[in-house]
Amino acid sequence: MNTAAGRLIRAELKLMTRDPLVLTFVVAFPIVTMLIIGGAFGTKPTVGFDNTNPAHWYVASYLTVVIAAVGLVMLPVHLASYRERGVLRRFAAAGFPRWSFAIAQLVVGLITTAVACALLLAVAAPVYGLPALHDGWRVGAALAFGAVGFVSLGVLLGTVLPSARSAQAVGLLLFFPSFLLGAGGPPPHVMGSVVRHIAGPLPLTLLTNAVRSPWLGLGPATGSLAGLILLTVAFTAVAARRAVL
Amino acid sequence: MDKAQVVTVRGLRKAYGDRVVVDDLDLDIPAGEIVGLIGANGAGKTTTVECIQGLRKPDAGTLRVLGYDPVTQAGELRPLIGSQLQDSALPDRLRVAEAVALFGTARTRDGGELLEQFGLEQRRRSAFGSLSGGERQRLFLVLALLNRPRLVILDELTQGLDPAARRNVWAAVRQLHDAGTTVLLVTHEMDEAEALGGRVVAMRGGRVLDAGAPADLVDRHAGTATIRFSMPDAPALLLDQVRRLDGVHEVERAGARVTVRGARPVIAHVGAALVRWGSVPADLSVHVPTLEDALLGLLDGADVGGDVAEDRELVGGRR
Repeated sequence: MNTAAGRLIRAELKLMTRDPLVLTFVVAFPIVTMLIIGGAFGTKPTVGFDNTNPAHWYVASYLTVVIAAVGLVMLPVHLASYRERGVLRRFAAAGFPRWSFAIAQLVVGLITTAVACALLLAVAAPVYGLPALHDGWRVGAALAFGAVGFVSLGVLLGTVLPSARSAQAVGLLLFFPSFLLGAGGPPPHVMGSVVRHIAGPLPLTLLTNAVRSPWLGLGPATGSLAGLILLTVAFTAVAARRAVL
Repeated sequence: MDKAQVVTVRGLRKAYGDRVVVDDLDLDIPAGEIVGLIGANGAGKTTTVECIQGLRKPDAGTLRVLGYDPVTQAGELRPLIGSQLQDSALPDRLRVAEAVALFGTARTRDGGELLEQFGLEQRRRSAFGSLSGGERQRLFLVLALLNRPRLVILDELTQGLDPAARRNVWAAVRQLHDAGTTVLLVTHEMDEAEALGGRVVAMRGGRVLDAGAPADLVDRHAGTATIRFSMPDAPALLLDQVRRLDGVHEVERAGARVTVRGARPVIAHVGAALVRWGSVPADLSVHVPTLEDALLGLLDGADVGGDVAEDRELVGGRR
């Protein structure tokens, strides 16, 4: 695979292994917080968790935290840093094909997401057990669209924000409210109606609902999946234009 | 497009907001030449070359580079250009050999040979972040030459290099030129432009002030050569002889110090006169005007809206 995109993917993956601390946020943060909050509500099914095991509720939710961490924090900071330092200009001037960098970032983002999700499940399995998968196709589709959508959003943010520091600030500002309201925070039944209304249309909430409900057998979550697909198409279209070299 | 022209620019204009950076610029670069773009910071040099490479979209004007339009055919054009950009970098943890592998393809030159030529063979496994400024510039030059470019654009190539490293890089640029490659050099180091530039184009305020061989610009804008020596009780006869030499503009005497100004051939005439007189002062010194003097003269006298360049036979000219 000696295409420009292939060479960029290889180089980016190598660089990532040389700076493992970069992965701390997308790997360690979801695992640690899942272990903490998964243990906070016990393992007995309760009404507040739609009569499911609360620990399983969070295991089924935290894959989306990984996806959001990659898309809202890791990629924007990485890309903004490249832009700030003139790395992208150098790729462009060297004649790298226009789409090669966008494709490379998409692939690297998806590989990172897959590895981090696998590690999260590997840690969750012996501690809380993995919940039975009720509708694997829907879960798989939601994860795939969600991963592509958030990676695209990350690429978009990285090409818009002026510096790595601003990308980090904006990324964290987007990540933590989304995380608390839509994925890894308190269960919806303890939130007030206003907060639930705010949380409902957030991309991460849509993604989490589209993964968790079919996974735990709580319903197909078709509305959330449709909303997620629309957002993914929009983010990908805009990001593709912005990331052209 | 004239086949002999590698770059043809007509009426190029580029503004960032309200600030016009390149204003109605014309530029022709013939094949096989080294052309230096010179001027103070903010003259529009870098923006001009970025438009030539298709890295920026001009607001107005037409460009043809190696037969392509950089605006609509950047994808075809960029692989034909070797480019060393100002203010650009590589990922800090990327190693030298990996950078060569990343920027090279099956059709590019042997990266190892280029690394050896530019003294980076021993640094193959070093991370970009650990390279010195000179090593980084040499690596950028290696990357720029990988694809056997027909046009090489070098923007502030030797900025921050020590004198020995600069001369090594200059030698490499001369080798490129000898091999028939066209080189567009952007610099505000006048000695660099003078040493390398077969022709130089002086810019200010996004416009071309004048262009030509460095010696021609010096003749037109740098004024006179100055010869100084001390001769206590200098005889009036000698000073009168010097005053009447061809090309002498003025002779000043302040105490024992004598200053002669005139066209450059005056240096030889004054030297000969002193030898004939039988007394060559030990502190005889000569100041020959340089390209830097010429640029300063140009900038001092420039009315950007004026007609400095119109009657010249130019590599570049303001419309």
